[in-house]
Amino acid sequence: MTGGRAWVRSREMSDLAIDARGLTKNYKGARGITNVDLEVHRGESYGFLGPNGAGKTTFIRLCLGLLHAQSGSVAIFGHDVMVDRSRALAEIGYLPGELSLYGSLSGTATLDMLSRLHPRSPVRRHELLEVLGLTRADMRRPVRQYSRGMKQKLGLVAALEHDPPLAILDEPTGGLDPVVQLQLTDWLRERVHAGMTLFFSSHILSEVESLCDRVAMIRDGELLLVRDVNDLNLSSMRIVKMRFGSPTDPSAYSSRHISDIRVEGTLHECTLQGSPAALIDALTRCEIEELTMVPLSLEDAFRALYVPNSGEST
Amino acid sequence: MSVMLQLSLIRSRARIVSMALGFGVFEYIVGLSYASVNHNAIRSLVASLPPALRVLAGQANIASPTGYLGSGYLHPVALTIQGALVISMASAVARDRESGAAELILSRPIAPWRWLTGQAVAVSIALCIVVAGGLIGGLIAVAQVHDLGSVHPASLMLASLMGGLMFLAVAGVTLLISIIATSGARAVGWSAGFVVISYAVNYLASIWTIAKPLGVISIFHHYDPGVITTRGHLSAVDVAALVGLTVVSVAASIVCVQRRELAST
Repeated sequence: MTGGRAWVRSREMSDLAIDARGLTKNYKGARGITNVDLEVHRGESYGFLGPNGAGKTTFIRLCLGLLHAQSGSVAIFGHDVMVDRSRALAEIGYLPGELSLYGSLSGTATLDMLSRLHPRSPVRRHELLEVLGLTRADMRRPVRQYSRGMKQKLGLVAALEHDPPLAILDEPTGGLDPVVQLQLTDWLRERVHAGMTLFFSSHILSEVESLCDRVAMIRDGELLLVRDVNDLNLSSMRIVKMRFGSPTDPSAYSSRHISDIRVEGTLHECTLQGSPAALIDALTRCEIEELTMVPLSLEDAFRALYVPNSGEST
Repeated sequence: MSVMLQLSLIRSRARIVSMALGFGVFEYIVGLSYASVNHNAIRSLVASLPPALRVLAGQANIASPTGYLGSGYLHPVALTIQGALVISMASAVARDRESGAAELILSRPIAPWRWLTGQAVAVSIALCIVVAGGLIGGLIAVAQVHDLGSVHPASLMLASLMGGLMFLAVAGVTLLISIIATSGARAVGWSAGFVVISYAVNYLASIWTIAKPLGVISIFHHYDPGVITTRGHLSAVDVAALVGLTVVSVAASIVCVQRRELAST
């Protein structure tokens, strides 16, 4: 992109925290991402969902200029990453998915070193250390002595301590215990409320639901859908498995709340959205032998939300 | 850049100190050992050696105090200490890319060339400290051993300086390899291979007339500390060759690092 185009784009798109257009990146012998268009608005909390190897990390690394796209472009608050990388990165706090720290440095030395590489002051360090439960004694120890969870906490402090306008967090709760996960989620929600833009990748649906305004789903390098998280209503969706005593027609229990029915002999499986009362009522009239209902996994969500060949993508 | 410089030095501080001390002790012992040997016996031994073995100590007369002390810088221990230091530090670029530590740094608004330059300056400083360690060891030996009285401290400094320039060139080549290589292990392997092949080329050129024209492409062709301590001056051509290789390899590294993808894949 030329400087002139970057300037025009900067003027037009400054309300977008992330503006990716036609982003394509392929590796030798491995899939990256293909023609991804994504817009994250300023102040928005945005979840990026996908199974391992879907292309989440590749997209994030393209946003940071750590990888170069074969085609397309990405801008951070209007600054094209390939043209004006320094100004784009000055707006970002980033937590890598595979965090690697310098083992010989103490926690404090690590944060001091990283904060000196950022133009913004680490104004939220002490607050974050408290929220994440990192003590002064912890911070004095060499990082090589840290557990995985402690390293993750240190990475989170390093990413967020300078109160970035845009936080890009790749699997932020990995390795954290449930209590700290909740504390972090609350803190992030508070910061988003104060105006921070949050973009984070995850494969935990409940986390995304509790924190995000919108969610994008990516699989095999292609963006499958972008939805308002309230529209997804994922928490009310369940996978239902039923075993009948004899072959049964799905019409005996199907309704508008039931989708994605699969039948193998007397074993039926479907996705239920909303209250199970009507389904249970219908099943009492069938020769039901076994019934299980489980919350939606990420893969189930893909199956439930994405209909291949429908042309639906965003 | 100063942050990366400090980080690199802090991470390598134990290595730098131990190698500086080790090199100093080694050069001191080399100097002390001159007092305990029979000089005529050394002359006879060197004269009886086939040329293929004699060239291992360089072109200088190792029976002389200057040649003997200078040849200590060509000893495998001296070469290994300096080579290990620069290769291990310069290849940190590749190791950090591989581990993902570079991603943490480069996701901040720091230009990749600044990151690399910080590493390059750190290697240079570390090498200076280790070379100074060796020099101090040699100077103490010169001060204590009466038989080494004819060795001028300035000529020993020049030999140390030339050693530093040669291993600076190795550091430059290692930096370039580290940017191109896909893993830290490969960077170390290829860099060590460069040093070994360079040594072998110079050795072959020294003993085999047909291979003599190839000698000039070896970094070891431009570094004969025994000759430097004996003559007391440096060859401008040799200095230019080593400095030129360093400048070209570091410049190529900076160009490459701006173009390379720096995330681990």
